Amino acid sequence: MSLFVASLGFGLLTAAVLALAAVGFTLQFAVTNVLNLAYSGVMIVCAYIAYAVNAAGVSIWVCVLVGIAAGALISLVLNNFIYRPFQRRGTPPVSIVIVSLGMTLIFEFGTQAIAGPTNVSYSMSQGATLQAGAFQLTAAQIAIIVISIVMMGVMHLVIRYTRLGKAMRATAANRDLARNCGIRTDRVVMATWLITGALCGLAGVVFGMNSGSFGATSTDIFLVLILAAVFLGGPGEPYGAMLGALVIGMATEVSAAFIVADYKYVVAFVILIAMLAVRPTGLLGARA
Amino acid sequence: MVYYITTLLVYGGIDAIACLGLSQQFGVAGVTNFGFIIFQAAGAYTAAVLSLPPDGANGGFQQYVLGWNLPFPLPLIGAALVGGLLSLPFAAIVGKRLRGDFAAVGLLVTAVMFNLLVTNFQPFLNGAAGLSLVPQPLQSVLNPQGSAYAWSYSAAAIVLAYIVYRFLRRITNSPYGRTLRAMRDNDVVADSLGKDLRSLRTSALVTGGAIAGLSGGLLVGFITLWDPQAWGYAETIVLFAAVIIGGRGNHRGAILGAILVPLAFEEATRYIPPVPNDANLVPALQWVAIGLLIVLFLWFRPQGILPERRRIIAGARGAAAAVPSSVVASSAVAVAAPAASESDAGLLERVTAIPVAVRPAYSGAAILACSGLGRSFDGVHAVDSVTLEFAPGRLTGIIGPNGAGKSTLLAMLAGTLRPTAGRILHRDEDITALPAHRRARRGVVRTFQLASEFKRLTVIENLLTPIPGQRGDTFRGAFLGRRYWGGQERENIDRAEAMLERFGLEALADRYAGDLSGGQRRLVEIMRALMAEPDVLLLDEPMAGVHPRLAHQIGMLLVGLCEGGTTVIMVEHELSIMDEFCDPVIVMAEGRVLAEGAMATLRSNAEVVEAYLVG
Amino acid sequence: MSAESGLRTVEGVALTVSELIAGYNGSPVLHGVSIGVKPGEIVSIVGPNGSGKSTLLKSVVGIVEVMSGTIRVGERDVTGWRSEEVARIGVGYVPQVDDVFAPLTVRENLEMGGYLLRSREVPSNVERVLGVFPQLARMLTRRAGKLSGGERKMLAMGRALMLAPALVVLDEPTANLAPAIARAVLQEHVRQLAATGASVLVVEQRAKAVLEISDRTYVLTGGQLRMEGTPAELAASNEFVESFLGGSVEGARAAGA
Repeated sequence: MSLFVASLGFGLLTAAVLALAAVGFTLQFAVTNVLNLAYSGVMIVCAYIAYAVNAAGVSIWVCVLVGIAAGALISLVLNNFIYRPFQRRGTPPVSIVIVSLGMTLIFEFGTQAIAGPTNVSYSMSQGATLQAGAFQLTAAQIAIIVISIVMMGVMHLVIRYTRLGKAMRATAANRDLARNCGIRTDRVVMATWLITGALCGLAGVVFGMNSGSFGATSTDIFLVLILAAVFLGGPGEPYGAMLGALVIGMATEVSAAFIVADYKYVVAFVILIAMLAVRPTGLLGARA
Repeated sequence: MVYYITTLLVYGGIDAIACLGLSQQFGVAGVTNFGFIIFQAAGAYTAAVLSLPPDGANGGFQQYVLGWNLPFPLPLIGAALVGGLLSLPFAAIVGKRLRGDFAAVGLLVTAVMFNLLVTNFQPFLNGAAGLSLVPQPLQSVLNPQGSAYAWSYSAAAIVLAYIVYRFLRRITNSPYGRTLRAMRDNDVVADSLGKDLRSLRTSALVTGGAIAGLSGGLLVGFITLWDPQAWGYAETIVLFAAVIIGGRGNHRGAILGAILVPLAFEEATRYIPPVPNDANLVPALQWVAIGLLIVLFLWFRPQGILPERRRIIAGARGAAAAVPSSVVASSAVAVAAPAASESDAGLLERVTAIPVAVRPAYSGAAILACSGLGRSFDGVHAVDSVTLEFAPGRLTGIIGPNGAGKSTLLAMLAGTLRPTAGRILHRDEDITALPAHRRARRGVVRTFQLASEFKRLTVIENLLTPIPGQRGDTFRGAFLGRRYWGGQERENIDRAEAMLERFGLEALADRYAGDLSGGQRRLVEIMRALMAEPDVLLLDEPMAGVHPRLAHQIGMLLVGLCEGGTTVIMVEHELSIMDEFCDPVIVMAEGRVLAEGAMATLRSNAEVVEAYLVG
Repeated sequence: MSAESGLRTVEGVALTVSELIAGYNGSPVLHGVSIGVKPGEIVSIVGPNGSGKSTLLKSVVGIVEVMSGTIRVGERDVTGWRSEEVARIGVGYVPQVDDVFAPLTVRENLEMGGYLLRSREVPSNVERVLGVFPQLARMLTRRAGKLSGGERKMLAMGRALMLAPALVVLDEPTANLAPAIARAVLQEHVRQLAATGASVLVVEQRAKAVLEISDRTYVLTGGQLRMEGTPAELAASNEFVESFLGGSVEGARAAGA
């Protein structure tokens, strides 16, 4: 039983990191109609950039800001100079997925070329371990969960209450009509990639914090979790991504407590395949 | 040195085989199978566990299933078999009506999942450590350490690659291959012309899977070990890179890609002296370069170095001087009905009645009928309770404003859209549950509103595709070769050329259909539908964007068809066309039938006049 | 009148299109078309299918590539402007399809139409538009994708009205509507738009119905202007009938027009 409760704690942690990543990913899809599989690549690049600054003696919590900035910039460049030109040309979505895989190679192995093949880790203190019954999390882990909840709140506010959020929803729903309302959709798309890129960078650094040690290809499996969360909630639906992250995060950790820990990711895969087969628009998406 | 060369040759052969398999799936059949690597892995594992002794042997340090210690060539055959069989469940995923990129992602994820399962489930295939000490083929008879063995293995790899190459060429340069390419170019249309997409995709996947399995079996026999690291995410991307760079849809391109990417590229980096203190730099940069090549090629030359060849079929009669046509790459943008040009007007000058193979006479009142037919979606009725009877040999017109449900009705009759209510009868038999391709085989054939030619097939290939009963249009038939289907194909080519001549388009026979003008493409579509030997022809706005004179000629053509026994049902906007050619005419509005009758009668129907007519 | 209909009075603006050549993918659909709308006029464009009517509208609102020619809205040359910029100078557009934000509610659709307004101005404008289309008031929380054809078109027009545009461009507003509703849309709603002073440019397939409300009409066939005139002039013209039926005029007349 205590194992179960402890796994709930870890599940929350995984869900927290996953939520940051999944919301960014799904909004990129909503507004641009691109499945940006290079997302995990950008995450790890930002994790390494934060590491480089951290290794120079800066506190990891400040490096988070560096990671956020890097993520925003890289993602913006990725869309403006890679995805948008291909889309303008009429390249079919499948080919753009192949392009994103190519970009993943460039990001991940470019990082490895620069930083080397050995795993690295942040110099940070985990802080005190808080214990509540069988629940056991370090201060750092709790901080991550709090950051994630706060960011979800921020995203909620942005999407629901700001002009940009309105413009994003319109652009995602019907781009041409949004333009007819006077919305400068090109700028909306750029702003979206900046914001989701920031989320991506944040997710990358937090992933690094959570992983203990990480390498250039560590986010490969994580991408599958992101996809599972996104498709569970519905591609393009930010609230769906939050819900999906919670379910996938909990499901993987709780199942690890019951079945052999190595298979915990299989749960995520099975959910993803099932959603694609049965309801590709996800739980919160409209029927296609 | 010798071993270096033989190793290169073996890898070259194996990579060529793998790339050929992928090219067949991706380039010819249009299936983007990101899970491709699983089949190679399955083949390798199968060959390994078939040739290894039971797992207690060798001190029992590895755990695995089977272990039957089979002699060459059984493990290799097993590898190919398993590769092929494993494809079957994948065919189920790919067949679903899923967006291309979603399906691709699903397959990618499946590959990762399999890798994870194998890595973690130790008793199956020895988990992360993988299998080693795999017996090499004929090792009891020949000395695997000697150079003779190495040379023999190289020769075997190259010979097998050549065999696979010839096999695939034979399959692809046949009516069956043409059908695969048609499915790749436009699967909905291929479906509507009688092609069974599910079985086609399955056969493409199984073929590619078996070939991949073969390559895996060969590989493991050479390197004697195999573990999950060898078949990750990144390895699949390398194979795709090879096929894209070499040229998808071209078998020589696949071989070229295999030589350039996995082989030459990875080998070349070996000669770059390792950077001191950083042994990992060069291998990592290698991956970066592959990623870069993928993006650059997809941008600058998506068709690859060796693009798919244009197949010149038409004989001396009518073939124009070959115009170097631009290869239409992967763009699939639907074009709005193109403007009519003056030159299109003269296209049908030489039309005479077209003899079309006629099916057994039908003596009933309604060759096609629907009752209570409806299609609703979220409470909105696109078509609402339509009951109609179409008499044989008549040219029936369907008119109505945009959104009246005309195209939806047509799509349901043809089978490309499922009704939510009602029944459809063809020759008094209920066909409501029949999918589009089965209806096409019965003779219920449709055309489409938007550009729907097979762009990367030539005009004459477009016409040959739908002909029913082609012996070479099955995998088996293709395998049996030209001797089996050649005679019939020759006859079909003659028929297609005759059709082109009657329409005055014989000069275009070997041009890519995607390169023609709007009016020409429209005609190709109508000719193509006629080649399917329709019993009931359903036309969706055939005159849209067509020059009025050409439209008139098409109308005369259709009248001629009806006189010959075909039933034609046409959705159109032009009231003048209805006036001149159609009887009866059905008026639809808001998903329902408003009125039916001769145009003259409709004109005096106040409701109809009020809503739709001018003057 | 304005107070009852709930529409603000606007200063209608003139539209001038000169020698327009436009089309898709480098291939022109319009071959040198010139039309004009005077301030406050209702001008309609009719013609057979495929004649380029939609393309003409889309060129004006900046969706379709203009290859040659000019488009002026009032004093400004908007040729080649992007559609969001054209919308910002007071041109409202009601497209033929994809005319609402399907996943959003009716209220959200209207609010989105008022995107350019200051947020405190939005509620009063929503009230104003609901005054024009009172049936929408009953469906404010319904998702736009679930509305019927007529309801959707009303919402689409309402959305365009939020900014009180000086020029309203409508692409076949009665497509997919039952004759009675179509009549109402044209006679009442489109007329009301002009009653505020806005200029209206409407493309229609139902030539007879739209002639009844137009000040002037253009006939477009094959991407070229075939005729123009007041409804009275056109109805009396044989050529007008012919350009639609493409067949013999006598036959059409004899058949009981």
